[in-house]
Amino acid sequence: MSELEVHGLTKKFGGLAAVGDLTMQVNEWEIVGLMGPNGAGKTTAFNCITGFYKPTGGRIYYDGQDITGMAPHRKAALGIGRTFQNVGMVKSETVLENLLTAQHTQAAYGAMAAIAGTTVVRQREREMAKHADAILELLGLTEVRDRRLGGLSYGTLKLLELGCALAVEPDLLLLDEPSSGMGPEEAHDLGLRLLALRRELGLTMLLIEHHVPLVTAVCDYVYVLDFGRLLAEGDAESIRRHPAVITAYLGEDAADEPAADR
Amino acid sequence: MVIERAGRGIALLPVLAVVFLLPARSDTFGHFGAYGAIFAMVGLSMNVLVGYTGQISLGQQAFVGLGALTAANVIDTGTVAAEPFTFALGILAGVGVAAGAALVLGAIALRIQGLYLALVTLVFGGVTADAVFTIPRLNGQEAGVSAIRPDALAGEYAFYLFALAMVALCLYVDIQVRRSKIGRGLVALRENELAAQAFGVNVTGYKLIGFVISGAMAGLAGSVFAFWTQEFSDKDFTSGAGFSLALTFVVMVVVGGLGNRTGVVIAAVFFALISPSSPMLGWLSNKTHWGSFYFDHKFYISNTIGAALLLQTIVMNPGGLGQVVAPITRWFAGEPFSFHGDADTSTTGAQVADVRA
Repeated sequence: MSELEVHGLTKKFGGLAAVGDLTMQVNEWEIVGLMGPNGAGKTTAFNCITGFYKPTGGRIYYDGQDITGMAPHRKAALGIGRTFQNVGMVKSETVLENLLTAQHTQAAYGAMAAIAGTTVVRQREREMAKHADAILELLGLTEVRDRRLGGLSYGTLKLLELGCALAVEPDLLLLDEPSSGMGPEEAHDLGLRLLALRRELGLTMLLIEHHVPLVTAVCDYVYVLDFGRLLAEGDAESIRRHPAVITAYLGEDAADEPAADR
Repeated sequence: MVIERAGRGIALLPVLAVVFLLPARSDTFGHFGAYGAIFAMVGLSMNVLVGYTGQISLGQQAFVGLGALTAANVIDTGTVAAEPFTFALGILAGVGVAAGAALVLGAIALRIQGLYLALVTLVFGGVTADAVFTIPRLNGQEAGVSAIRPDALAGEYAFYLFALAMVALCLYVDIQVRRSKIGRGLVALRENELAAQAFGVNVTGYKLIGFVISGAMAGLAGSVFAFWTQEFSDKDFTSGAGFSLALTFVVMVVVGGLGNRTGVVIAAVFFALISPSSPMLGWLSNKTHWGSFYFDHKFYISNTIGAALLLQTIVMNPGGLGQVVAPITRWFAGEPFSFHGDADTSTTGAQVADVRA
């Protein structure tokens, strides 16, 4: 059974369909890419899947369960983690505090217990801090544990955001341009890291990505959007040579040339 | 290390002496001190709502008033002192009613933000005071509802210690909230509501929790206030007086430093002492030949001081008093003394901008 199924997803803003009739599926353990030029509707589709937008039409199934229109915090509790295009974290807090905040759904104690400060709460908080340290070590970020986000580089923030998404303990991870702001080498490392995460944590991933070498290296399957519609789908290699995709990205003339190795 | 710790303990002694011994020397100081403690509770309630949750409230005096009104009406002692049991019941009822009212205001706040929320809370405060507090049955036919303290707390110093204990309770709640998932959730939704949701924070629920905790603390402050004046009088909260309180509460939490409990408590006590309704400055100026001048100008004096401090804070010192005293509080917490620490202060610049907006 597939982990995520999207049937005829449509999202309209006013009269304009940002996403029109999108059907796609992500199987367990797969890493699937979502590509398309700027304004193609990739992030809109993400926001519908994670619950930040209510779809105008279509259904979304996660693990066979209909989750269309469910609130984002409930989807997070179900095991859908996500990152944002422009780093979604709490800037005034430290790295560790952000990782603790991200473990919100695992903080299994009530509000009254928290106010009373019971031993159960303290115990749970200690375990969460330990888990946060493990994530930091996994990502090689132990050094910045107690730093505030304000002073960190963009690349570190993107990596930390991935860490926060992992702290949600997702089964399905949606990454919005994880390699933005990274150089080719960092992007290459990120690819290896994503593959390792799948191997070690058994994650399923859906990523919006423009960096073609990264997509080729990690994605099992790729969907390409253009003007909100599905333009092409297939494995990374065939997508790279797909004439419609090349036209969408580079314009009419480029399609006549042999596929450019970017 | 042990010696150093002892040194820090000794440094605390003058503070403790001022807090405990000075009011013990005279009922006058005990009376002022309890008023300061009430403001400190209101300050902490504003800290949860404005500092952590990032919601503005210009109607906090309504929660304080509701607490006072409820406590006094539950007890309605007439001329005899309250029984300890009914005293506790009155205070609990004051807390509960204020928390309930805060829940209603919070439900409204889910739909609106910024300027409109500020306006709604302002109207909420005004309407609650002028419509509810003026009901003759609730304000003793405008003569006030008496709330005589139980015998054990009849003395000013005893009551002052009781008020201090209530501040300690609010501080404890503040600390527990801030270090648990509640505080992290509140701060996350203040700064980045989308990220908070992606982390699984229920935005609706947490905004309501912020309002309820804040309302409960303000209600506690109000209940204690009723027993401080030993009556509930609607005139302390209606129209002019209520609005002046509402502004003072906002100003003092900004001057103290949003999200910084130490700074907020210090600022709250200071504003209690200079507030026009406080007996402190009047007493002080009567000791000198400034007495009549002060009473002629008391509203101007305290409002001018408040305005000047607010401007100074926003322009030059966005972290508020909390940022100023941070090196000292860090030192007491056991870190080496330094002016540039990472802890405790940096939650503030952006929030001041929010409050201004």
